[in-house]
Amino acid sequence: MTANTEATLERGQTVGGLDEGRVTLRQTLAACSMLLVALLAAILVTSLFGSERLPTRASICAIASLGQSSCGLTPDQYAILLEIRLPRIFLAAAVGASLAAAGASYQALLRNPLAEPYLLGVSNGAAVGTMIALVFFGTWEWSRPLMAFTGALAATFVVYRLAHGRAGASPERLILAGVIVTTFLSSAIVFVTTLMDATRIRSFTFWLLGDLSGTTTSLLALAIIVAIVGTAVLAANARSLNLLMLGERDAFDLGVEVGRVRLIVFFVASLLVGSSVASSGSVGYVGLVVPHLVRLSLGSDNRITVPAAAFAGALFVVVADTVARTIIAPRELPVGAITALIGAPLFVYLLKRG
Amino acid sequence: MLLVTPSTHPRLRSIAGAAAGSVLCAFVLLACSAQKPTPTPELHDARQVTDEAGRGVTVPAKIERFISLAPNLTEISYAIGAGDRLVGNTTFCDYPEEAKKVQKVGDTLQPSIERILALRPQLVLVSTASQLEAFTKQLDEHRIAVYVTDPRDLEGVFRSIENLGKLLNQERRAEEAVAQLRKRTTSVTEEVKSTKPIKVFYQLSAEPLYTAGRDSFVTDLIRRAGGVSVTSDVPEAWPRYSQEAAVAARPEAIILPTDGSMGSANSEVADGLKRSPAAVSGKVYRINGDFLSRPGPRAVDGLEALAHALHPEALKK
Repeated sequence: MTANTEATLERGQTVGGLDEGRVTLRQTLAACSMLLVALLAAILVTSLFGSERLPTRASICAIASLGQSSCGLTPDQYAILLEIRLPRIFLAAAVGASLAAAGASYQALLRNPLAEPYLLGVSNGAAVGTMIALVFFGTWEWSRPLMAFTGALAATFVVYRLAHGRAGASPERLILAGVIVTTFLSSAIVFVTTLMDATRIRSFTFWLLGDLSGTTTSLLALAIIVAIVGTAVLAANARSLNLLMLGERDAFDLGVEVGRVRLIVFFVASLLVGSSVASSGSVGYVGLVVPHLVRLSLGSDNRITVPAAAFAGALFVVVADTVARTIIAPRELPVGAITALIGAPLFVYLLKRG
Repeated sequence: MLLVTPSTHPRLRSIAGAAAGSVLCAFVLLACSAQKPTPTPELHDARQVTDEAGRGVTVPAKIERFISLAPNLTEISYAIGAGDRLVGNTTFCDYPEEAKKVQKVGDTLQPSIERILALRPQLVLVSTASQLEAFTKQLDEHRIAVYVTDPRDLEGVFRSIENLGKLLNQERRAEEAVAQLRKRTTSVTEEVKSTKPIKVFYQLSAEPLYTAGRDSFVTDLIRRAGGVSVTSDVPEAWPRYSQEAAVAARPEAIILPTDGSMGSANSEVADGLKRSPAAVSGKVYRINGDFLSRPGPRAVDGLEALAHALHPEALKK
């Protein structure tokens, strides 16, 4: 155990070194620009798929002109492409990026590979917050992200406190705490839905599984801004996260302001989860599967993992939602069902292989 | 034990009394064991009927106490003059006014089996929409007749009214009610007969978008009111629907079921549909959701409201 810690400690020190830092920056930029190209390509390609068939060339032309020209699309086709389909794809990207970046940071901070917004109960905390906002301040739009963020933050702190008992924190304890908080909040959700009338229950059960179809321009803008700013802040703290992976005490000895970093990560990750849940419900497994895949292919340096996970998460949810909205068209599936269907088996495979 | 409501206390006491009594009885008189108490209702003049789900049901000839587990069935019961024998209904049952005062057994989706048994009904009326298969089995085990209704169009609603009329010995009232409703229906269909059908999108909820599909009786109402639902071919009664597909179908009118028990919910067109021809030309119609979501007598009110919205010129009279 001690030998192991020392070995990683050494690695941690070199990873934090100056030359190493420049190399890492180059790697990060390379990985992120590749993923960005892939994401933009995915956005373009998936915008050609939907329950309605649109002329391919005219659609690409209209997107390339940034909506300035209709390129021969009828007003309906133009509205479908630029007012319904593309905003939804952008929301999928923002939600995927937020959840994956939050997941990667939770995993580093809590030194637990299973830490994920959904499994930790943070998503459910945000969901309860959103529901409270809908029930009590139904008409005020900003109440949803605000309450979702509050709920996510509250759930994060409760899980963290529960996980740190007198005997200290252990990975198992954290997951147990997450299970307890998740199930408790699930019951709260059932309780609130039962109090609401029947017509709204139906929309809620759908929304709880993750639904990207209904969002307003302002919530979409918020989700995108939060995704970008949040990921940037987490990436800026990635060096500290690297050192924190060695343990809080060791990180402290190496000059990391543990308390401050923990607070920033909890706050920003809750903001990311809150804004995505407020606009799309709980999309599960993104924060778990995506960071793991990224680590498998790019290594576990958080300076690469966190931003790369954000891009890869965006890519994952964009593709998953395209499946959700086309597979039984013109009917739709909740995107959370697709991410779980892809995510859970993939995760089992990773566990077996790892 | 905190869950025992005051109303069940006397019952508990009588059960305890009966238990004590039978123990005593068994002690004193061996012959007592031959007289098993029969809690089942008298079945000597029962009749065999087939309900709308095709199940064979044995029901007492005369029904003095029954429960309705859906608001449309409650409305039918009152319309055929059987409301005074309704001993239990759901929290959704808010029409007519008297229905609110009837003992509540929970809501349509989660009724309380204990409360139902405590009310000692001879018959429980269920709608297929409430998906109560497991529940139905439990009631069967307690020898309470369960009659399932399954109206999928207006004709089915009329049939349900007549069937409940037979079941509750109110045949004449039911026939009168149906004749009346048919007359109103025919007058609407006559008036819109020569009009061009209007393409309608029925928005059950905006976020996420739900509509009325093939198996919904609303689809039939829209057709009779001189419209055609753009989602009339979609399987299911209430499918989750793609915004893109709704826009692409180019509806000429959008119907929003709202008001009534829905309050202000669903009073706005979904964001994605705001630019559709129907919304742009102001052809968005808000109609009492209770008329359109309950396959009961007021469905004809819904039909009239739909026809007035879609063809105001044809219904001037």
